[in-house]
Amino acid sequence: MKFSKLILRNVFRNKLRAALTVLLMAAIFFFVATLLSILENFTLFSDAGKGQNRLAVQSAISLANVLPVAHEAKIRQIPGIIDVCEMQWFGAYYKEPKNFFANFAVDHRHMPAVFDDYATSPAEFEAFAKDRQGAIVGPELMKRFGWKIGDRITLKSTIFPFNPELNIRAVYNHPIDTSSLMFHMDYFQEAMGNNGLVGMFWVKVKDAKNMNPISKQIDDMFRNSTDPTETFTEKEFQLNFLSMMGDIKLLFHSISLCAIFMVILLAAIAMSMSARERVTEIAVLKAIGFGRRLVLALMLIEFTTLTVIGGILGVLGGRIVFSVVNMTRVTQGFLVNFTLYPHPIVTCLIVSIAVGIIAGGWPAIRSANMSVVDGLRRVV
Amino acid sequence: METLVQIEKVRKVYKRDEFEVPVLNGITLDVPGGDFLALMGPSGSGKTTLLNLIAGIDRPTSGRIIVEGKEISRFSETALASWRARHVGFIFQLYNLIPVLNAFENVELPLLLTKLSKKQRREHVNTALNIVGLGDRMFHYPRQLSGGQEQRVAIARAIVTDPMLLVADEPTGDLDARNAEEILNLLQRLNDEFDKTIVMVTHDPKAALHARHTLHLEKGLLVEMAAEGMETISARAEA
Repeated sequence: MKFSKLILRNVFRNKLRAALTVLLMAAIFFFVATLLSILENFTLFSDAGKGQNRLAVQSAISLANVLPVAHEAKIRQIPGIIDVCEMQWFGAYYKEPKNFFANFAVDHRHMPAVFDDYATSPAEFEAFAKDRQGAIVGPELMKRFGWKIGDRITLKSTIFPFNPELNIRAVYNHPIDTSSLMFHMDYFQEAMGNNGLVGMFWVKVKDAKNMNPISKQIDDMFRNSTDPTETFTEKEFQLNFLSMMGDIKLLFHSISLCAIFMVILLAAIAMSMSARERVTEIAVLKAIGFGRRLVLALMLIEFTTLTVIGGILGVLGGRIVFSVVNMTRVTQGFLVNFTLYPHPIVTCLIVSIAVGIIAGGWPAIRSANMSVVDGLRRVV
Repeated sequence: METLVQIEKVRKVYKRDEFEVPVLNGITLDVPGGDFLALMGPSGSGKTTLLNLIAGIDRPTSGRIIVEGKEISRFSETALASWRARHVGFIFQLYNLIPVLNAFENVELPLLLTKLSKKQRREHVNTALNIVGLGDRMFHYPRQLSGGQEQRVAIARAIVTDPMLLVADEPTGDLDARNAEEILNLLQRLNDEFDKTIVMVTHDPKAALHARHTLHLEKGLLVEMAAEGMETISARAEA
């Protein structure tokens, strides 16, 4: 572009101001991209079961309510179902409350069929299946606590009146979930006095097309019982689970918007100063034939270049930081395989363009509309 | 010589808050092509305003300005900008070079508005800088040049598109006597050798001596004509 030299020279004409503006942009876009990526990370987790044809059956009242184990046999009768697995959120920690992580009681007999995306060596799984107090653990969790196969650990429950003593028998591999622990449902039921109640069921369906009809069929089956159910796809279930922590999405988006609003104001100040310093130059450009639209376009491109450079540095910095820092460990498994994802990166780059246009819009319009005579009057 | 600029009964009134300040009070003036006209007068007499109107960077309150047969006072802002790019070269008192661009790039600026290729632009810039005697300083930035050299670059920028009309507002006002003389000689050369029509505003009677004609303005009126060749210019004040 013929004007690129003029634009770039003007972008960096006041080096200190340009550097500070770019750094500010970079910091804000790093922050916003991180927040959006945390939300994306949650969604990725909920997408982990996508393609697995799994349905989650929970109490229609809430996830905290339990269902009769007897529901399982009835669900199995529905055609198109491969298997059903009982699961109970256990909510325990290891040694100290700060060592909290996801842990469940699972029916090991149906686990391989329903959770076939969780890979385990057959020998290890067999060892787990044979040991009533056996546990199967994610690799990040093993690393976090320095556990080894064969270790005996005690979990401290925050919900139930017993602390399970477990033998680590197997390590699973999963693309997203790397920090959970599962132990035998039999052990849990025995400790709870075999009361015939369970938190939820996971249902493996043969054909994805039948997910919705089967989901409806299950809920219809128990609609008039004392324990009605509500059935979700795995993604819906995970999102519901996250929503129990409050409307994180709204919170994160609100914080991001506030940050962007602040950066627009700060950028507008810097850009107004830049435009005001160049009133005479702009008048000269207009005098020698640069039209109003061209001046407007040049100034907007100049301002936007500054914000986009900030945006690029912010997201690039984020990619580097999160490739070096193990966020799974830092967040104790809250964020798994965390990085800045493409969607937040693209969003931030688009927003950086918008910030340039919005913040630079007024000074650019004012410059473009300025009378040549008024602009020259300062010196002529 | 054919008339290049026709100014007919031009009035210009500026509004300052609730006050109306008349600056030009009905000027009629013909400037022939190839002329070198000096506009003189005390501060506030309206000479810069008249120059701005001729150059198409301001509009008259009433009256007509016709340049090369086109009534520029009726042009839209966009058309006027495009017309200026093709037909007018500007020389300012304080040079008004873009500080972030070197001499070559400053001179190239008006050519960016044309369809010339990069190579053609380079040739035009080289020619313009050589005419003003700065072919060896083309990659110097304004801060690396003396005042006289900066004004030469500004003149190169004014002539690079080969406009028919050069307007100069106090082109020597910020220069010492020696540099001022060099700049005036250069303008005279552009008028003599390259047949450029030049309208120059100046306070300096010595500078005006370089012009073919001198007009005096006072309180928005043309009050006197001087210098030889009066027959080529018709100017009268219409009160």
